[in-house]
Amino acid sequence: MNLSELIHEFILALIEPGILVGSIGTISFINTTNSSFSLGLVFTCISLLYFALNADFIAAAQLLVYVGAINVLIVFAIMITDQSVSSDSEKRGIGYFTALGACSILFLTIVCIFHKINDFYSSSIHQSEYLKLNLFEQNDVQNIGYQLLNKFLVPFELASLLLLVALVGAINPARDEDEGKDIAENKKKSFVSSTSPRDKSSFF
Amino acid sequence: MNDINSFLSRLNSTINFSTILPEIILIVGLITIVITDLVNKGKNAIFLYKIFLISTLVSMGILFYQLISVIAFEDLYTNNIFNNLFRFFILICSFISVLLSVDYVLCSKISLAEFPLFKISAGLGGMILSCATNLITIYVSLEFLALSSCFLSGYTKRDIRSNEASMKFLLMSGASSSSLLYGFSLLYGFSDGQVQLDNIIDKISFSQYLPIICISAAFILAGTAFKLSLFPFHQWTPDVYEGSPTRVVAFFSVTSKVAALSLFTRLFRLIFPYLSNEWHIVVELLAISSMILGNLIAVTQRSFKRMLAYSSISQIGYVMIGILAADLENGYASMLTYTFIYIFMNLGTFARITPFSLRTGTNNIRDYAGLYMKDPVLTFSLVLCLLSLGGIPPLSGFFGKHYLFWHGWKAGLYISVTVALVTSVISIYYYLKIIKLMLTKTTNLVDTLKTYEKQKSLVSSVISTKLKSSVEMAMILCALASTLSGLFMDPIIKITRNTFF
Repeated sequence: MNLSELIHEFILALIEPGILVGSIGTISFINTTNSSFSLGLVFTCISLLYFALNADFIAAAQLLVYVGAINVLIVFAIMITDQSVSSDSEKRGIGYFTALGACSILFLTIVCIFHKINDFYSSSIHQSEYLKLNLFEQNDVQNIGYQLLNKFLVPFELASLLLLVALVGAINPARDEDEGKDIAENKKKSFVSSTSPRDKSSFF
Repeated sequence: MNDINSFLSRLNSTINFSTILPEIILIVGLITIVITDLVNKGKNAIFLYKIFLISTLVSMGILFYQLISVIAFEDLYTNNIFNNLFRFFILICSFISVLLSVDYVLCSKISLAEFPLFKISAGLGGMILSCATNLITIYVSLEFLALSSCFLSGYTKRDIRSNEASMKFLLMSGASSSSLLYGFSLLYGFSDGQVQLDNIIDKISFSQYLPIICISAAFILAGTAFKLSLFPFHQWTPDVYEGSPTRVVAFFSVTSKVAALSLFTRLFRLIFPYLSNEWHIVVELLAISSMILGNLIAVTQRSFKRMLAYSSISQIGYVMIGILAADLENGYASMLTYTFIYIFMNLGTFARITPFSLRTGTNNIRDYAGLYMKDPVLTFSLVLCLLSLGGIPPLSGFFGKHYLFWHGWKAGLYISVTVALVTSVISIYYYLKIIKLMLTKTTNLVDTLKTYEKQKSLVSSVISTKLKSSVEMAMILCALASTLSGLFMDPIIKITRNTFF
């Protein structure tokens, strides 16, 4: 193989162990903070994989959303809740073996499917058609921006409104308000003794 | 500058803004509410409701104008009569529910600017859902509607029932929209990347991919049947209806059901026409089970709101017959007329429960005993609405059901119509039970009614008369509509007739 393919294989050989190490670290670290940081490692390596596969928009989106938002949220939540170091039991019951069996069957299925697809697409006819699609010269981000503002304008703007309403709705139950002044005013005006059904008036 | 000009001209050619003008007015109303509340710092909340009312009315006016002159436009929206009628229904729902919730302003101890915000956004989501022909728009607007409804149901945050209701609603709606999305992803993949509903049918080859399309149909059915609360997916309905504030239940019992109906009809009509035998059988089964289950369980309920939840499950079962019975000459006329009448009946019933429970603080059916002595207006209008729900002539509920069942019988759905007739009779039992309770004079009045005060005691008398009248106006409007719509049945049917697509 020529130089570019060699470099590609080399980069992939660097990234994939990173994913593997990170995922094993996520499930086997006892300290949950370490485990969440290794989850961040997994997400970053996946985004580097997308870069190596020439999908630049997805790679950027993965970095921004998964690493920058979701992982940060997870780390934040873990650090705020004062967790004691969890101790995992050494006993391996029936659930462990069932899960092991199910996951290995799933893994073998996926490997078989990938091999079949590889054989299918390696034949020469499909390779020529694939090259005709000319995927390497498109500019993903520009295309997506163009489509978002032309064809998908309504869902795009609606999604921005959805964000506004979601923000308001998320803050609404969490916020602290002063109801002292309201209760004082209401008590002055009411001339019926407030029994318990009366207090529920806001609910109805 | 040149770029902006060319962008605007291209934008104008792709989207004709006059078609989404009603939605734009609602968006403007929403932003005005947010900014007004910010500027006023929480005072003068009635003004926000006036903004809401005005924007809804203007939107309805423009939609009316558009209904008369149908502007045909493809791509993101298709403005046929079907979609426009559903948008109109949702605007009616929003309008009447604003009238219901105006008195919330002074009677509750929690902040109030977000309430019209969430109601407008739910109405907006419902309106866009009614016209969307594009998988992405469908999903975003469905999420918009679901999220706003969830925030509305959790609005009284100090009450634990409200918290439970909104938690249940959020979880179940999340699960169901993920199922819907999986069905969409199968359609997207096998139609070679098409997102428009029309293009999907063009590109997908039904003969080759039949099992995949069946799987996709099953997932989409599961996702939409949750919103409609059909039989196996109805478990969230009684708990959420009982837990949320009554005004909120009134609003989303009609809005989300109407929007989900339009989504269901459009998806199944456009995408799976070749599978119509299969999904007809499944939907018929779901409809029969919802009717039976809803009516039988409603008989045993002791809380008014739970009973109304189960009765709305059975009403949607009836409407499903209308969807199945659509044919070329009548279109979806039966479903649309019954939906129209159902909106008024349901909102009317909730409009009467709201002041009653506000004044007595209870929802039990037993506490309605002897109500006619204390408040004859409320009793009489509640009687009208309940009889209309049961389907007693000459009220409009009877005409709606009659047309629906006649249409279904003509289309050959004999089992469904028979079951529907039997369960209608069962439903008359539990509606009449309440009416009898209200109208009979009891010697020892229930304790709660002894303290029944006609005016709200928490506010000064001037404001109370003005606000009381808005709920009364909503009550009277709904009572009139649910009584007299039966007389206007023929014009309504004629309008809804050419809606087959």
